[in-house]
Amino acid sequence: MNNRLKTVWNVTKWEFTRFFKWKDMIKGTLFFLAFGLIGGLVGIWVATDSITIPDIAVHEYGDFDRDHFQSEEFRFTDRTDDSLESITEELESGNLDGILSIVSADSATIRMKSERGWLVTLRQHLQEQRTDLKLQEFNIDASVYETIQEGMVLHTEFDNGSESSSADKWIAGIAIFLVLVAVFLGFAYQFTAITGEKQQRITEQVISAIHPQTWIDGKILGITGIGLTYVVYYAGLGLIGMIALVQFTGAPFGKAILLINPGLLGLFLIISLLGILMINSFLAGVAATIDDPNTSQKSALMMLPIYPVMFAFVAIFNPDSSAIQILGIFPLTSYAILPARMVMTQVAWWEPAVAILLLAATAWLFRVWAGKVFAVGMMMYGKEPTIKEMVYWFRRT
Amino acid sequence: MLRFENVVKKFAKVKAVDDLSFEIKKGEIFALLGPNGAGKTSSVRMIMQIMEPDSGSITFDPSVMNRGKVNRSKLGYLPEERGLYQDAPIMKTLVYLSTLRGSDPADAEQKATVWLDRFGILDRKSEKISTLSKGNQQKVQFIASILHEPDFAILDEPFSGFDPINQELISDIIRELRDKGMTILLSAHQMQLVENIADRILMINHGRELMSGTLDDIRKKTISDKKLVVTYSGDVKNELFQQSSQIKNSILTPAGDWEIYFSENYSLNAVLKILTDAGSVNNLKTSDVNLHEIFIESFTNGGRNHE
Repeated sequence: MNNRLKTVWNVTKWEFTRFFKWKDMIKGTLFFLAFGLIGGLVGIWVATDSITIPDIAVHEYGDFDRDHFQSEEFRFTDRTDDSLESITEELESGNLDGILSIVSADSATIRMKSERGWLVTLRQHLQEQRTDLKLQEFNIDASVYETIQEGMVLHTEFDNGSESSSADKWIAGIAIFLVLVAVFLGFAYQFTAITGEKQQRITEQVISAIHPQTWIDGKILGITGIGLTYVVYYAGLGLIGMIALVQFTGAPFGKAILLINPGLLGLFLIISLLGILMINSFLAGVAATIDDPNTSQKSALMMLPIYPVMFAFVAIFNPDSSAIQILGIFPLTSYAILPARMVMTQVAWWEPAVAILLLAATAWLFRVWAGKVFAVGMMMYGKEPTIKEMVYWFRRT
Repeated sequence: MLRFENVVKKFAKVKAVDDLSFEIKKGEIFALLGPNGAGKTSSVRMIMQIMEPDSGSITFDPSVMNRGKVNRSKLGYLPEERGLYQDAPIMKTLVYLSTLRGSDPADAEQKATVWLDRFGILDRKSEKISTLSKGNQQKVQFIASILHEPDFAILDEPFSGFDPINQELISDIIRELRDKGMTILLSAHQMQLVENIADRILMINHGRELMSGTLDDIRKKTISDKKLVVTYSGDVKNELFQQSSQIKNSILTPAGDWEIYFSENYSLNAVLKILTDAGSVNNLKTSDVNLHEIFIESFTNGGRNHE
């Protein structure tokens, strides 16, 4: 390893270990799990406590057959012979949960003390009664009704004969989501790493020891490493969760895994990695120009990488439009749009190839730009360079 | 070790360094002095290649060059702008900063142990920097600048933030490093310390050289290389000092003595007459002008100034 690469590696390790603490992450996970467990137990307790069968007094049945008011969810009592006043007194004293008065198959009233969760189930119950009544009225057989209600299955197929895999769509979606997670983490750590160093006046001694480009390279790699480690960690936790789910529910997770196209998965990984590197280079350059993140207007620039992810959702609905095709190759947007396009439509072989080349070249260019902005911006205490000045340095250095 | 030739550096409309030239010889302690804003830090930053001169040249000795470029691992730097990773442990920080200048991590740790011990903070090596007092943080910063044993160390205000005992310790260490062959450029405001350790001095103001040389050279170049310290009994007609062309400067010390600086073409007899006319002289002694006085003399009045 030559000296420059060795120094880049030293900075990468330093930046990584400065922010990434295994102990803290495991503690955080255990804390999260403990709270999840407590929350779950509280939820079960609340849900169990609320499962008391409501007592409903039926004052009028309207068109409905009173024999049909047998349910496991409600305790219906026939109170058609009692006066509404006496039943209302029982409701007010808490002996009843509600008084149901059915006027017709189209109208009914439920009187309660206040809004209750079981109202949804009651509405469902009355709807079923109404459906049965109407089927009888129109003399429609129940099996005919069920056939009408059945949905239609639409199989999707591409013009080259291959079938679109739901698993691939999930993988593309997850890839975009994980890029977003890594970008947000990069956003947070770049701010702390770079503006923090500037505010702690560390810059001068480091920049006198190593070339600014070497320093920024190490930072970009170290912080990208943190983002990826978190992503891998949480993806791993998700996978463990899925496996656990399979054990308990017998869900066809294994079959879904087999549907994943490994070639496509590999391409997504390359595109995502280059995308993250490109964005982190951009964020590093912007962070180097920020003197105080609390007041700097340039902080808004840090949100720019989110827009391509928004375009990716457009790509899902209209993957073959010319605009989405171009944005799928354009390096500032391709990392989010191309994976979406690849699972939604047929993509020519050269599109991923060109997109990857452009993405790699742009990541490299951003890295160089970040190094140049960093070299000057980091030494500007109490003042922030303008965009015009940044362009000037890039052209001059 | 270094040749700084006709260097100019401008910031907006201000010339921080204005056609400045000097040379630093191998193995010497070279002090750069000047008031705030004189151009010291700009000069130091150009030497450290943190900024480029607008014109002129800075040439290093071949011993610190590698393939036409300055070998940064041969340079040590204590910047005026101090700062350390507050959340990082002391030893880890020292080893990291040393490896950035090419040291082997194990070797850096071994040397850092020796230095931390010498500064009395070895027992705190695993603690975070933020737990140290400002003075102890300065010690860590100083160690970081010389831990990799550079050939040429540039120390910008090495004594600031230290108490007198630690200032003396830093002075001793700087001398030791020089004796071991390290070339040192230092800029400082603590004149007495600079006077004791500097082999040569360059005084600058407004980015230009005011005077340079050894302390003796500078004394000779100042208008008053000698002064008289006069103790009077009773009242003193000090207006006579101000009226005389023989006396350039007169200062009443807190102890009640008068320091008398001579004009360029003075006559000792004439000066003595003025002194005795001014009052009843109780005691009279000669003294060398020290660097502090030269500094004050050079940067405050540059001419007559009587108190």
